[in-house]
Amino acid sequence: MEQAGERESEEFTLVARKPYFDLPTACPACLPLFIYLKLAHFPFRLSFNSIFPDSDQIPYVESGTYVAYNNENGGVIERLKQDGIVDLDSEFHSVPDWVAMKAMISSWLADAMMYELWVGSDGKSACKIYYSDLSWPIGKVLFLKQVYSVKQRLGITKGNAEQREDEIYKRAKIAYGALSTRLGDQNFLFDDRPSSLDATFLGHVLVTLHALPETSVLRSKLLGHNNIIRYAEKLKMELIESSSSSSGPQIHSVPSSSTPKRGPSNWSSKPKSKPKREKTEEEKKFKRRAKYFLAAQLLAVLLFLSVMGGSDADDMELDDEDEGLVYG
Amino acid sequence: MSNPDSVPDLTPPDSERQKPFDTNEIDDEDGNDGDENDVEDDDEDEDGNDGVFRGPNRPKPQSREARFRSGKLKMESLLQRMKTGPVSVRVHDVIIKGNTKTKDHIIEAETELLNNVGSMQELLKASQIVNLRLQALEIFDSVKITLDSGPPELPGTANVIIEVVETANPLSGQIAAFTKAEARYSTVEGSLKYKNLFGYGDLWDGSLAYGYDHSTELSAGLYLPRFKGLVTPVTARAYLLSQDWLKFSSYKEQSMGLSLGLFSSEHHDVAYNIAWRTLTDPSQMASRFVRRQLGHNLLSSLKYTFKVDRRNSPMRPTRGYAFVSTTQLGGLVPDNRSLRFLRQEFDLRYAVPLGFYRAALNFGVSGGVVFPWGNGFSSKPSSLPERFFLGGNISPVCALGGPTTLWGFKTRGLGPTEPRRHVNDGTADPSGVDFLGGDLAFTALADLSFDLPFRWFREKGIHAHVFACAGNVAKLTENEYRNFSVQKFVESLRSSVGVGLVVPTSFFRMELNYCYIVKKFDHDRAKTGVRLTFFAAP
Repeated sequence: MEQAGERESEEFTLVARKPYFDLPTACPACLPLFIYLKLAHFPFRLSFNSIFPDSDQIPYVESGTYVAYNNENGGVIERLKQDGIVDLDSEFHSVPDWVAMKAMISSWLADAMMYELWVGSDGKSACKIYYSDLSWPIGKVLFLKQVYSVKQRLGITKGNAEQREDEIYKRAKIAYGALSTRLGDQNFLFDDRPSSLDATFLGHVLVTLHALPETSVLRSKLLGHNNIIRYAEKLKMELIESSSSSSGPQIHSVPSSSTPKRGPSNWSSKPKSKPKREKTEEEKKFKRRAKYFLAAQLLAVLLFLSVMGGSDADDMELDDEDEGLVYG
Repeated sequence: MSNPDSVPDLTPPDSERQKPFDTNEIDDEDGNDGDENDVEDDDEDEDGNDGVFRGPNRPKPQSREARFRSGKLKMESLLQRMKTGPVSVRVHDVIIKGNTKTKDHIIEAETELLNNVGSMQELLKASQIVNLRLQALEIFDSVKITLDSGPPELPGTANVIIEVVETANPLSGQIAAFTKAEARYSTVEGSLKYKNLFGYGDLWDGSLAYGYDHSTELSAGLYLPRFKGLVTPVTARAYLLSQDWLKFSSYKEQSMGLSLGLFSSEHHDVAYNIAWRTLTDPSQMASRFVRRQLGHNLLSSLKYTFKVDRRNSPMRPTRGYAFVSTTQLGGLVPDNRSLRFLRQEFDLRYAVPLGFYRAALNFGVSGGVVFPWGNGFSSKPSSLPERFFLGGNISPVCALGGPTTLWGFKTRGLGPTEPRRHVNDGTADPSGVDFLGGDLAFTALADLSFDLPFRWFREKGIHAHVFACAGNVAKLTENEYRNFSVQKFVESLRSSVGVGLVVPTSFFRMELNYCYIVKKFDHDRAKTGVRLTFFAAP
């Protein structure tokens, strides 16, 4: 009577972050897993946790008392492979190119996505994906914490910010080029068969195209490769949109505040480039001047207080020694 | 040499007898512990309430003995008059001395009573109350109130002179143990207090508390007796709290918040709390329900407590009754993403003395319910930390405030459970269960306490008791209320009986009990046997 579990033990549930930007889940860590399960035609329910943006356990797959967390055993995909639940990569492990591309996507492209979401753009996309269901003060503090943590991870300091940015974008460009060459006209990256490589890359591409703002440098670099765009759109239609229109057992709902659909016809390969460099210089100068101004104000106030101020209000005591008489 | 006493009555009789004297020496109760009890009349001037204004007069040179005798006579005559009837007098002025740091208005706010007195008797009583109130501010080492005659041209008046000595050492520290009934555990707390930093009677304190069930709290608080004309004192407390429930429910709770005591009187208490609360699971073993609850939440709630405690003693009640009702409404910010819930609990106690061996029967009934509100509330789960958990090793007889524990059941030891995550590491052992608590809780207890027939035990206050209790928790949220029925709830009541020895020490009350579990369910953590419970009065 007291047991609270009510689901069948065979049914798997993927717990991911909330859907946004017309994607079933807009978080770049969760979307690859969703796509992987879809590519494998693995039946699952989708459930959301939108109050724990800084957890590395999410996304996770659960079924009864079995749980595969993302921060264990190299990730959920690896764990599902090990436990024999889903495995698309059985023949690719020994292919050196496959392994190298996997490493490139998990390092260079992952870093580029992290940089662009938190540092490169104005952070609005990240706030929508991660903090839209949290109260404002909590969301704001967590956002600032995350920006700091990303800068630490990517080794960005005040001195090397520009160089690091150049390096990250350059690597992303190289990676896109290599993947575009690898993809060619095929439907999938390797042997025309889906693998976790496709899932990871596709997740990255879809978030870049749909979630990042149009002024994003990373997005503009990606838009230069038409075959990647075509590949992404085709698979998105097959895996995501066709399944959401069918009567799948999915329990998510697209929020009413999602942005309007951006199809390929709306994209231009020459996005508005933000004049970022000059802005930074001007901003820096302005900030410096503002700091001097504030410091001067503070100094003036302190001087005033120390020179002009001085005596506190005395508490005048009625000190009548002769108790018998009070008022003469 | 004219004796002031024999001057014809040109002034109303009572004013002539005005003598400055200390309220401290007249009182019968033991209210003024730290005060000096000088009889002042000897050294004070006799007032010039004769018909002729006399200027700052010193008594005519009389011998000390003669002065003492005359003073004593005057005092006795005044007391005689007071015995026969009210001696009308009103307060003309209140003079405050000795406060170098404390602002006058803080002291004056406590002395408002004095303005309304009409007679000497009332004046004495009011002075005692003012004395106690000023001492209760905790910022003075001593408070002395002296009553003196008013100005000679205003007969029938008195002046009240309040002399305070501010604390020499504003910093004080203490280590104390107490049991928080809501938290169901006992804590040891070390605190530092700084008194009267700004002269507004403000008490600042910082404290570090460690609870028995691995909870740690670091907090800083402020107590203001008078804040911008508010009637009751205002308290504010900023805290960092960390509670470890991994063993019982596979989660850890961290909160950072601010609580404001808005109104506090003998029976009513209103407090507002705003906090950022995070639930995490570092063990990664949580059950499905707990996994869904992990994350950050903004808690903004108003709590109203109504308390009536007419028992003769909270540690060993033998007569009287008590009733506590606590209502907490969460989600007071317009943001619909904050935690929205309504929590109500009550506790009713009744003690009947039986007349022999100081025996008493204690009955107690308590219950509580919690429910989320807002859109789709019936299908939403209630928040895990707000639910009711029964069990723990605090004494149910003393813990007043809501359904907390049953004898014999361990912390969070009964109620709905869910199996934890199973890790495939080769062993087939189940990982255990998480206790999820419930939305509806109920407990009832009956306890017969009596002295033992040995004198040594009686002297130490050690007595015995026989007890029985029953309780249950049930889930109502996520549409479970549709399956709820009172009959099922009553059928699944857990219960226990037992007998034990109660040892009250100066710090806490300890019970050594033998509990027999009459009814429990499979996963409940309860065992028949000997158990220790503690309770320390806050």
